[in-house]
Amino acid sequence: MTRHLSMSINGEPHEFDAADHRTLIEVLRDDLALTGTKDACRQGVCGSCTVLVDGVAVRSCLMLAARCQGKSVTTVEGLAAGDRLSALQQAFVEAGAVQCGYCTSGMLIAATALLESNPSPTEVEVRAALVGNLCRCTGYAPIVRAVLAASRAGAGHPVAAVGS
Amino acid sequence: MSLPRFEYRAPGTLADALAVRREAGEDALVMAGGLTTVILMRERLARPRLVLSLSEIEALRRIEANGALSIGAMATHAEIVRSPAVAAVAPLIAEACGHVGSPAIRNMGTLGGNVCHADSASDPAPALLALDAEAVIAGPRGERRLPMTGFFQGTLTTALGGDELLAAIRIPRPAAGTASRFVKYTATTAEAFATVTVAMTVVKDAAGACRSARIGLGSVASTPIRATAAESLLAGRRLTREAIDEAARAAADATSPSSNNQGSAGYRREMTRVWVRRLLEDIAAR
Ligand SMILES: Cc1cc2nc3c(=O)[nH]c(=O)nc-3n(C[C@H](O)[C@H](O)[C@H](O)COP(=O)(O)OP(=O)(O)OC[C@H]3O[C@@H](n4cnc5c(N)ncnc54)[C@H](O)[C@@H]3O)c2cc1C
Ligand code: FES
Ligand code: FES
Repeated sequence: MTRHLSMSINGEPHEFDAADHRTLIEVLRDDLALTGTKDACRQGVCGSCTVLVDGVAVRSCLMLAARCQGKSVTTVEGLAAGDRLSALQQAFVEAGAVQCGYCTSGMLIAATALLESNPSPTEVEVRAALVGNLCRCTGYAPIVRAVLAASRAGAGHPVAAVGS
Repeated sequence: MSLPRFEYRAPGTLADALAVRREAGEDALVMAGGLTTVILMRERLARPRLVLSLSEIEALRRIEANGALSIGAMATHAEIVRSPAVAAVAPLIAEACGHVGSPAIRNMGTLGGNVCHADSASDPAPALLALDAEAVIAGPRGERRLPMTGFFQGTLTTALGGDELLAAIRIPRPAAGTASRFVKYTATTAEAFATVTVAMTVVKDAAGACRSARIGLGSVASTPIRATAAESLLAGRRLTREAIDEAARAAADATSPSSNNQGSAGYRREMTRVWVRRLLEDIAAR
């Protein structure tokens, strides 16, 4: 069955048709061309597909799009304000927390959720919040440093223009 | 791979959900948080005509403590971890839910989905067994209650009928002076499935002897189990080194683990003994 869905995505109202069996990640990437959200294990294990639904971090590979009717979805594309990166994104750039980049959008979303609920986490809390996000490149240390730096910089507020 | 086609239904009341379940029978797959169900469909281990989602039934999310603690089947692990009612009555279950997977898994996964999946490796299940919890089951003939010991029937099998739904988990208020302990022991990382999970509650009398004990074990048999022989050995005894060692051995003897990437059968049995002993020692020392 196909149904008409309406939801807010990165603050913009969206309306589209989607078949009932489609997952949120399929709709985001294939229909809406929001390819920042990455698709890897499709089993909830790796965290690369993490998005916020009504502010809560979820796995978009295991979430049916139909369940997001009327809800508010935030993907990595929604973190920057125009061309101004969020403090967290800027901290990732400065800490060298991005290598191949495949885990980065999931890491940014998981860390954004953490900083929303706990603006001054300890290192242990940062590691616990990111335990479900796998990175095969960085060894995690620069990612943890970036989240702690962003917390000191007051994450969530855009601080720098892209490329500056 | 994308999911096989199905029709999605998300009724707003339990009565409507029961009606859909009865009418669709085997053609319907009940969905709670969707974690296991989506994976089963993706692997083509389930090909339902209809997915019956319980996500829009507000009443099933409720967590209340009027006397006993009642946790709605659709309460997520994260909601249970944060709940003041759970913290007041049975913090053991919050501790157990806090060890499930990773934050996003706890945000999506529900207690009801976890126990209905009946995975032996469930972390909350041993805590529910140690707390004498009951399943509150809704069906066409009304509501029935079943102790969790009878709910888990075999590998990935529960006592739920094909026309029934789990509505809530009911946890009686523990007696005053009940000590509880939980450990999820993993051979690899914190978010992995456990080598063994041990949850226990011990009621001590004024003199410090054990009046009664409940020990729930996960990952070491085809279902979550209670170590009843160990519990009997402890009842009415002081928590001496001998009593603790005997109980820990009896708990290990109650297991029938399989070997997997979280440890060999022998290792899991031995870790059961070690962790039951350590948790009992910790309770004895208070
Ligand atoms: C990556 C990952 C890591 C995990 N790690 C852990 C872990 O460390 N420890 C742990 O304990 N668990 C773990 N889990 C399991 C998780 O806790 C969920 O409990 C489990 O996936 C199912 O919960 P759900 O709410 O998503 O249910 P669903 O997947 O929606 O449903 C599960 C089963 O229960 C049935 N069902 C659900 N609700 C009802 C109901 N009310 N009445 C009747 N039938 C019902 C469904 O038909 C289905 O068969 C993990 C899961 C994933 C994907
Ligand atoms: S793709 Fe969703 S968790 Fe890996
Ligand atoms: S940067 Fe490559 S996986 Fe994390």
